[in-house]
Amino acid sequence: MESLKKLNHYLKKYKGAAILGGIFLTGANFFLIWIPVLIRQTMDEVEALGADESAEFDSIITILFSSEAGAILAYNSLLLIGTVFLYGILLFATRQTLIVSSRKIEFDIRNTIMDKLLQLPQRYFSANRTGEIYVRATEDVGRVREYYGPVLMYTINTITRAGFIITMMIIVNPELTFWALLPLPFLSAFAYWVSGFINKYQLIIQEQYSRIAGKAQETFSSIRLIKAYNRIDYEQERFEEESDQYRKKKLKLDLVESLFHPTLNLLIGVSVLIVVWKGGLMVIDGIITLGNIAEFVIYVAYLTWPVASLGYTVNVLQKSLASWERIDEMLTEPIDILDDEKPAVEKKLKGSIEFRNVSFKYPGAEEYALKNVSLEIKPGSNMAIVGRTGSGKSTLINLIPRLFDATEGEVLIDGINVKEWGVQHLRKSIGYVPQETFLFSTTIKENIAFGVENASTEQIEKAADQAQVLDNILDFEKKFETLVGERGITLSGGQKQRTAIARAIIKDPGIVIFDDSLSAVDTKTEDAILEHLRVKLSDKTTIMISHRISTVKNADTIFYVQNGSIVEFGTHSELIKKEGHYSNMYQKQLLEQELAEI
Amino acid sequence: MKQKKQSEAADSVLIRRLYYFFHPYRWWAVFAILLTLTAAFLGTVRPKLTQVAVDDHIAIGDIDGLLWIVILLALALVGEFFILILNTYITRWFGQGVLFSLRNAVFEKIQSLHVQFFDKNPIGRLITRTTNDIEALSQLLSDGVVSMIGDLFRIFFILYFMLVMSWELTIIAILVLPILFYATFWFKSKVRVAFLEVRDQIARLNSFVQEHINGMMIVQLFNREKKQKEKFESINAEHRHAHIETIFYFSIFWPIVEVLASIAMALVVWYGGARALMDQVTFGVLLAFIQYVRQFFNPIRGLSEKYNTLQSALASSERIFDVLDTENEVYESELPKKLEKVEGRIDFENVVFRYNEGEEVIINDISFTAKPGELLAIVGATGAGKTTIINLLLRYYDINEGTIYLDGVDIKELSLKDLRKNFGLVLQDNALFSGTIHQNITLGNSDITREQVIKAAKEVEADNFIKKLPGSYDYVLSERGASLSMGQRQLICFVRAMVYDPKILILDEATSSVDSETEELVSRACQRMMKGRTSIVIAHRLSTIQGADNILVMHKGKIRETGNHRDLIEKNGGIYRKLYELQYKDQAVGTSTAIS
Repeated sequence: MESLKKLNHYLKKYKGAAILGGIFLTGANFFLIWIPVLIRQTMDEVEALGADESAEFDSIITILFSSEAGAILAYNSLLLIGTVFLYGILLFATRQTLIVSSRKIEFDIRNTIMDKLLQLPQRYFSANRTGEIYVRATEDVGRVREYYGPVLMYTINTITRAGFIITMMIIVNPELTFWALLPLPFLSAFAYWVSGFINKYQLIIQEQYSRIAGKAQETFSSIRLIKAYNRIDYEQERFEEESDQYRKKKLKLDLVESLFHPTLNLLIGVSVLIVVWKGGLMVIDGIITLGNIAEFVIYVAYLTWPVASLGYTVNVLQKSLASWERIDEMLTEPIDILDDEKPAVEKKLKGSIEFRNVSFKYPGAEEYALKNVSLEIKPGSNMAIVGRTGSGKSTLINLIPRLFDATEGEVLIDGINVKEWGVQHLRKSIGYVPQETFLFSTTIKENIAFGVENASTEQIEKAADQAQVLDNILDFEKKFETLVGERGITLSGGQKQRTAIARAIIKDPGIVIFDDSLSAVDTKTEDAILEHLRVKLSDKTTIMISHRISTVKNADTIFYVQNGSIVEFGTHSELIKKEGHYSNMYQKQLLEQELAEI
Repeated sequence: MKQKKQSEAADSVLIRRLYYFFHPYRWWAVFAILLTLTAAFLGTVRPKLTQVAVDDHIAIGDIDGLLWIVILLALALVGEFFILILNTYITRWFGQGVLFSLRNAVFEKIQSLHVQFFDKNPIGRLITRTTNDIEALSQLLSDGVVSMIGDLFRIFFILYFMLVMSWELTIIAILVLPILFYATFWFKSKVRVAFLEVRDQIARLNSFVQEHINGMMIVQLFNREKKQKEKFESINAEHRHAHIETIFYFSIFWPIVEVLASIAMALVVWYGGARALMDQVTFGVLLAFIQYVRQFFNPIRGLSEKYNTLQSALASSERIFDVLDTENEVYESELPKKLEKVEGRIDFENVVFRYNEGEEVIINDISFTAKPGELLAIVGATGAGKTTIINLLLRYYDINEGTIYLDGVDIKELSLKDLRKNFGLVLQDNALFSGTIHQNITLGNSDITREQVIKAAKEVEADNFIKKLPGSYDYVLSERGASLSMGQRQLICFVRAMVYDPKILILDEATSSVDSETEELVSRACQRMMKGRTSIVIAHRLSTIQGADNILVMHKGKIRETGNHRDLIEKNGGIYRKLYELQYKDQAVGTSTAIS
């Protein structure tokens, strides 16, 4: 109920359209029932005319175009066509108001969700699987829309149509009404059961489908091994097992689905049958006319879909509500990295960084990713972090632009706790090149100017030049207007990284962070980039994470991180003398380099 | 070339080829069609029966007669009910059967293809062939064709009953049909275009969302929240617009169908009313016609929908047959030789290999011999052709020139199975499958007992850690072994190689991704495995290959140096020596000089 209230909140804006749609639909149904009524009336009048012995009915032409009977027939038929047109127009208007509003509400909800996503802290994205967030922001919205669209429309339709028809039926004959309507509740219940079963079973089938795909993936990606061990037959057997499971599950669903239409057909048929039998007896007794039977047969046909849709609608409603709850959970998630109450620090950043006994634990993780890390770097200095994959290097630097907040201890920039800086200001002053280069599928120009409003062409070109990617870009046919990603060209790993570097340095930041951002760049280009940075960014604090000694060896201080702690630090030559982890890593790389160069 | 030829193939060829898979079910299909025919008759006879009830019985007050008709009606109704259920289920059943065999055939075919096929086609595409493309046929096979026939039967019967009752009224009733046809085709063409637009917009919207969930960190780091929000709103607005467009067509089409059906009814009442006054048409006929007019519209709509299904199914089947037609480029020998007892001697004689005619040579005139029980090591930089040697030996690819012998027999003369069963292969990426540890070791070979598995595991010292896992050998690996360490996964692969007790052991960079803790264990395991076997080892770490009987130093597809460790180390300025010095310069090798 709470959910329904929240859902209806979105409806407020479109209240007018929704009410109007309801009125249109009611009107449509009002005119709809005139069709059987007019048919009955015509038939009754024809019967009466036919009973009049004095009248002569010889020629079809005379009857239709000149006689009194012809006038009655034409009048009734035109009236019928007129009502039908009104019905059609109102139906059109209903869809144009109710369903169109549902799309507009969907639009609003999607915007709300995107807005929320943009504000949610990284903590949320690391605690929830990307796929799940994605489903909430896409499929779940679609299901919620069904509440405003089909659910609302079918509900109004069922209520008004059934209301009018049943009223008319009762006016004609209450007893016959009772008998004619008897099978309909079963129809509703059956539709509810079937659509519920289908929903549930489709999930099971989906799962089995992924198992088939998973099996194919497993086999195809290990094909060498499978061939070497002559296991093709066994793999075939295993695949066929999954395939067979799929067939069996699918057939179970098919069985239920194959019940649906025949049962619908049967229940409606039973209704008609009752009308003919009971109604026939009543006609014989002179209680009702033959026209009434025709009328009832049409009424029953008109009731079929609204009654069946009732069961279906209940299911859709349940699904909409479940989806809404998932969305709502996301919308009510707290946004915890907020500028503090105190006026935020917005001054120009000099670039000294200090970690004081910082420990950090990812949400839901058991172990600390960082353990009691302390370090200090002066403004304008060069710092490098090395260590194995998973040792905590990226975690450490993520605390600087407040992608995460330290669990214990504090991170200070220019002697001020990062939490006291304005978040936007802080991030604006930091140029960050992430480990996994992420470019948006838009033009190169837009990607580079991502963090700067109204960047000039010169600025963009300069940044591209400093990142050593300008020549590559100018080689593309559309130069800076080249689209990146699926719809555009695929950049090489190195080109991507350099574009990301350009994106970071165009901001003219006080602190530059490179998270292993030169890994896909060849050493010659790397040297050029580093040289540029040394000259241009000499007054800026730079932090470099790298696996490559060549990248880090000139840093003022190198930190070696292992299992979330700093285990060695110093300059390159100091660390080599130590003959510890760093020196070990250095030796290995020399070897690999030599191997590659033979 | 092949692809082009395929796409030119007529649809009729595709249908004939699909029929091959359908063949076992053909009598069921005939049965289903008979059922459809019966159901179509029972469904359409009911309005006729109501006519009889009204005219012949109700009109003259014949209650007994009415009862009979009602009983007939009930029988027709119940009969149609059961026949429809049976019919739908049967068609779905054989549809699933065809899909099942088609899916298995595609999987079998892909699996059997030469390894190069997998290099050329992304795995994702191959998966699509075995899943999506087969699913696309589902609708066509499970109820497409049969229900299309059913729709035609229905139209036929309705027309028949109407004509029998009154041909004049029939013409009046179907007067609106041309308009209905026109409206349907107009709607179809409009909606197809609109739907394409909707699909594009949904894809755009979803990929924007996906991209921004993935790249949220960048958006936030670069303070782009507001801008991206605006961008999203404009995409979202276009998405909304596309939907509203389709709503427009739907909100016009459905009322038109309803209006047309009612106009038909009005015409029937108008003209039929007049005819009734002349006593030429009865009330029962009017009642039946009113029902028929409503019944008539459904099959016509159904038919137009199925045409689309057919189109997309044909597109998918084309892709499926494309895979089924792919030729295997590694041929099985027609009269394979049998090796009685394999000693494990390998000879490469002037072997040349290139991926495709006219392309760069990958293996350039290579000859070497590995005697039974010997350890042969191959070293060289990435891309030197080390792994290709193994691919050629196992006949993943066939060589262009020269000969490869196993125990003096050309490997092309052996059956693939007989050739490959002599090798134990351990690869760098230590592939594990979903399933238990036991299954991963035996690869489903039920001839291998648990005792054999444990024995092999003990030999490579993997037994210790496996025993500690919950369920030990029956421990189910999740996500292909993600819960195990690299070293543990490697050891399982070793056990797998051991349990098959191969004559020849191949380790392709098998120790390079192991962490330092298990390094010891793994290299000890290696030593044990090699005992009594011909071994071919590709390795970065020179320590594993120091004891090799023969070392091939490869560079750009050629063997540049060969000999044992001692020979090679003495070769001044040699590649191997340089490598060795690099690796061991910190350790007291004594004679070696420091590199500059």
